[in-house]
Amino acid sequence: MTSRGTPSRFLQSVLQNGVGRYVCQLKRISIIFSKNAQSSLGVREFIEEGVVDYAKTNPGTVVYVSPNTSRIPKIVAEYLNGNVREEEVTSKSSKQILELINTLTNQSGLDVIRLRKPFHTDSPSIQGQWHPFTNRAPSIGPIRPLP
Amino acid sequence: MASGYIVNRGALTLGIHYRNVCRTTTFTQIREKKRWMKSYAYTMERKRKIEGTPPPKPRSQKPNWDYHAEVQAFTCRLHENFSLELLKTAFVNPCYIESEQKRRQDLGMDSETIALVLKGNIELRSQGSDFTSSFLNDWCRASFPRLHSDGVAAVVAHLTCSTVVCHVARNLGIEDLTMSAEFPIPDDVLQSTLMAVIGALLESSGAERAGFFLRDFLATQLIGKDLFDMWTVVNPMGLLMEELAQKNMSAPEPRLIRSAGASTVLPLYFVGLYSDKKLLAQGPGDTVIAAEEEAARVALRDLYGFTENRRPSDFSTMKQQHEPVQYVASN
Repeated sequence: MTSRGTPSRFLQSVLQNGVGRYVCQLKRISIIFSKNAQSSLGVREFIEEGVVDYAKTNPGTVVYVSPNTSRIPKIVAEYLNGNVREEEVTSKSSKQILELINTLTNQSGLDVIRLRKPFHTDSPSIQGQWHPFTNRAPSIGPIRPLP
Repeated sequence: MASGYIVNRGALTLGIHYRNVCRTTTFTQIREKKRWMKSYAYTMERKRKIEGTPPPKPRSQKPNWDYHAEVQAFTCRLHENFSLELLKTAFVNPCYIESEQKRRQDLGMDSETIALVLKGNIELRSQGSDFTSSFLNDWCRASFPRLHSDGVAAVVAHLTCSTVVCHVARNLGIEDLTMSAEFPIPDDVLQSTLMAVIGALLESSGAERAGFFLRDFLATQLIGKDLFDMWTVVNPMGLLMEELAQKNMSAPEPRLIRSAGASTVLPLYFVGLYSDKKLLAQGPGDTVIAAEEEAARVALRDLYGFTENRRPSDFSTMKQQHEPVQYVASN
């Protein structure tokens, strides 16, 4: 779809994160998988090998592991600003799931939609924004439309 | 799958799937398109339209919730060392204690056998809010040394007002951990919970760490804000004259500097304020009076050091502040 048909937002951070201290925005991650289905093979391998290391390196994120009889394994990530992101990890390998979880950890919870500008500033002008009267000698006369 | 699955002749002829649970019971399963599904879906939709969307549930009542783990993650996430007992006390609000006691009484439990061993956060809350206002006052005076005392009070009042504090609390994940009587949590309860958390931090780690916490989360809310959004000044010209009188400069004289489109729907006037024939500030406006007031505000912003292009406040980390940078001179 076009940029006008899909939602868009400006570049921002949650609570000026990073200006003071950096706070990891991912507050909890729930891994929902099946004990027997073949689509959750990668998830089961990840839980055997990688999830404990991940939880140790990210002490600010709570990791929940919940087996149920769903055929589609999911990872549900909840962020500090309230957004919840669900990712389906059917038939992914353990490495791919680790990469996905690292991506989710490094994101802020803001929507993954088009960014209107890749920059943002609170002080756009240091010397004062130009307007037609800047550096215009008063002797020239007022600004008028052409006769 | 199960060894007791017996395929009935009906499966091949009628297309119905049986499973004999035991000799006398069968479980019938329809794997094709279900004829009742459409009317069921429409009925549920009508029910939802009549009753409205279901009320929001607190996170603690949804699946996957471990309070102790969440509280520990909260401390690690903010890079702070809280004493967990104090922090858990900070999250307990008095309205929650009352509602819990009432619920136990309604259920008919003896108050002696099952006593509610929960302390409220009233003390921590008052400590936290006192420390917050004193720290923010000191920080504002240090960051903006030329700002008028009314201005400092207005800035601190803005930073401790319920909108800003609740915005900060919601984006720090305090709403999930708070124990309160109602859900969604009302603003004043959330504000008092954040103040109690600050009080708990004060008791656990000391004033310096609590100060850094306040600076990193509350003082950063000043970024991008204009002084006169937070401080309503009715008569900026009068205030400017007082300030100049204190500095022994002569009173400001307004002069019309530029004008454009005076006879149109959108006139523009630039008025400059001169003190001792030197330009203090100039400001634009629709009418000459509006332009003069705007010029007075621009002059005040300059005097107080709260312009948009000022040097940003120092939010560097604690380590960087403790180790002063050593410059190596090179010829």
